[in-house]
Amino acid sequence: MIDPFDPSLTFEEKSLQIFEYQKTNNPVYQRFCQALGVNVVNSVSEIPLLPIQAFKDATLITEHESLNIQDSSLKFESSGTSGMHRSKHYVLDPKLYKESILKGMNHFYNLENYVVLAYTPGYAENPNSSLVWMLNTLIKNDNTGMSRFLPLGDVIVSDFLDEITSSGKKVMLFGAAFGLLDLIEMGSPSLPVNAVILETGGMKTHRREMTKEALHERLATGFNLPKESIHSEYGMTELLSQAYSRGSFWFECVPWMQVSIRNPQNPMEEMSSGEEGLIGVIDLANINSCSFILTGDKGVQGEDGKFQVLGRWNPINLRGCNFLIED
Amino acid sequence: MTIKSHIQQIDKATRAWFRADNILLKEAIEQTVAEGLFTFEDIKFAIRALKEKVYAGQVAEWAERAGLSEEHHQKGKKVLCLHAGNLPMVGFQDALGTILSGANYYGKLSSKDPYLLAAFLDALKNAGVSTNIDYSTDLNSFKDLKADKVLFAGSEQSVEPVKLKLSELNAITDETAFDIRTAKFSIAYITSEDSDVVTDLVEAIFRYGGQGCRSVAVVVSPIKFSNLKCHFQDYIEAFWLKNPPTKKYTSAIEYQFAYNKAIERDQAWLDHFLIQDSEDFPELDSTLHWVQGDENKVKELVQKFGAAVQTVYTAGEKIAGLKTDFLSQAQTPNLWWEPDRKPVI
Repeated sequence: MIDPFDPSLTFEEKSLQIFEYQKTNNPVYQRFCQALGVNVVNSVSEIPLLPIQAFKDATLITEHESLNIQDSSLKFESSGTSGMHRSKHYVLDPKLYKESILKGMNHFYNLENYVVLAYTPGYAENPNSSLVWMLNTLIKNDNTGMSRFLPLGDVIVSDFLDEITSSGKKVMLFGAAFGLLDLIEMGSPSLPVNAVILETGGMKTHRREMTKEALHERLATGFNLPKESIHSEYGMTELLSQAYSRGSFWFECVPWMQVSIRNPQNPMEEMSSGEEGLIGVIDLANINSCSFILTGDKGVQGEDGKFQVLGRWNPINLRGCNFLIED
Repeated sequence: MTIKSHIQQIDKATRAWFRADNILLKEAIEQTVAEGLFTFEDIKFAIRALKEKVYAGQVAEWAERAGLSEEHHQKGKKVLCLHAGNLPMVGFQDALGTILSGANYYGKLSSKDPYLLAAFLDALKNAGVSTNIDYSTDLNSFKDLKADKVLFAGSEQSVEPVKLKLSELNAITDETAFDIRTAKFSIAYITSEDSDVVTDLVEAIFRYGGQGCRSVAVVVSPIKFSNLKCHFQDYIEAFWLKNPPTKKYTSAIEYQFAYNKAIERDQAWLDHFLIQDSEDFPELDSTLHWVQGDENKVKELVQKFGAAVQTVYTAGEKIAGLKTDFLSQAQTPNLWWEPDRKPVI
């Protein structure tokens, strides 16, 4: 079995091995590669990225004799209203997701120093949310017992924040954009000066829509923190790894994840730095589903590999009559 | 000049322009074909369809339907039309409607269709039509225009860049009204495999390579795609024999084909077109989505795709609560057809 976290192999070596493994053992990905005529690849950029929609339209599992769907497997589902066609991500080996979460967070933050507070629905109400499972893992990982899901609809209690500070730990507050804004509007107190806010997306709701810049500004002001302390997580049901932006709008990946920007008209082609396109993700932790994914998000990448998320790709622009200035 | 004589003058000039012995029209067609902008078959079809409507008296009828009169007109207004160029004569209706209304017409012609519409506009000018008629393929020509209204096909996302460019040119003011066409495709609902219906369906889908918001990109039918696939392909091949397609498939379609294979979705790849059993938004050109379903499915999809849907066609069936047009008229609409379901005049 290939270890996606193995530091003795390069990202490319592991990617090529996992490509072979998934092309052989994942029937959906196998058919995809066959139809594209891709059999042998020599570099990461030649690996076809499967449209993320496949998590809705098919069951994506890379099975082998010792690993298949069991009672211990997890099934994550994307959020949505009832009757909506949702993404399903089967996680055959929950230990692997746990390892990705803890190693990933520790790559960017020293978890030993933090108390994790999650202003999200709790695990009991949302067992199929990959984000809530991740937060639950982080909370259980904290031996102090101070990490927790915060009750929705209540402000954070000042005394509790003082208790965390007194213990020598720092606050890491997770929440969706609109949830964090609710906390501010309800009158939550300022956070300790060394706290970090990790917003997990959810910019667009039925109540409000705002730019990322405006959101971070509002969060910094509302919680009385410098803007550098407002961080973001780029993750989704279909991925077992996450990317983080820390005080800017540029995301960095964990070492077993890589992002490229693809040409929407030809997803086999990578865009140059600075050009907008579809965000492609290679997440080696997805070894038991599919590691090579073309998302529906629009993004841009810098020379250093960091990337920005520019919202959803709007497919409506691709078809039909369009007056273009350069036309 | 009265509005009545203005309309009569336009009607006369338009009829004259469509005459078979119009050398200038012939030259415009030849130039368009020579430069590979559109196929001769598509141009011939577009010209013939418009000519039939004009000769049926629809110029005057359109003016009457719009209520144009000495009291109700747009004289003195400056209308800037930014024409898209994805099918031949695509700007004809907007240009004619604007000029008929009495407004001064300013047209940014598409570099993809620079000869046909230009030849028509020249004919109106030469006939002495009293309103201003000014056109160019260069947007910079409309510097300092300060238009009262701008009309263009695009999307909500394209509004701001277009406004910015026009502001830089001082072509608009704070009071300029914008009419943005966002419809992208049409839906056909068919319940029969009759030869006439399938022939009309093929025309509605494949004419102009599937371009234009009146073209069908989604078919809803109780008939399963796999049951009709072979039969349908025969009709398509017959259509392509008479109307050879020019566009080859793109890499995006190749990718979509592979994706369909991956998820085992029923599909047919016809060299120039991909037909797939899918309820998704038909985002790619040269694709048709076939959805098995009834009238309720049509309503559901109209709701789901929203403003992107231009028209729902049927072969005569009524769908309660939905306005429908005849499938046979998909590519031969009346002059007063309503882009985005809004009247031009």
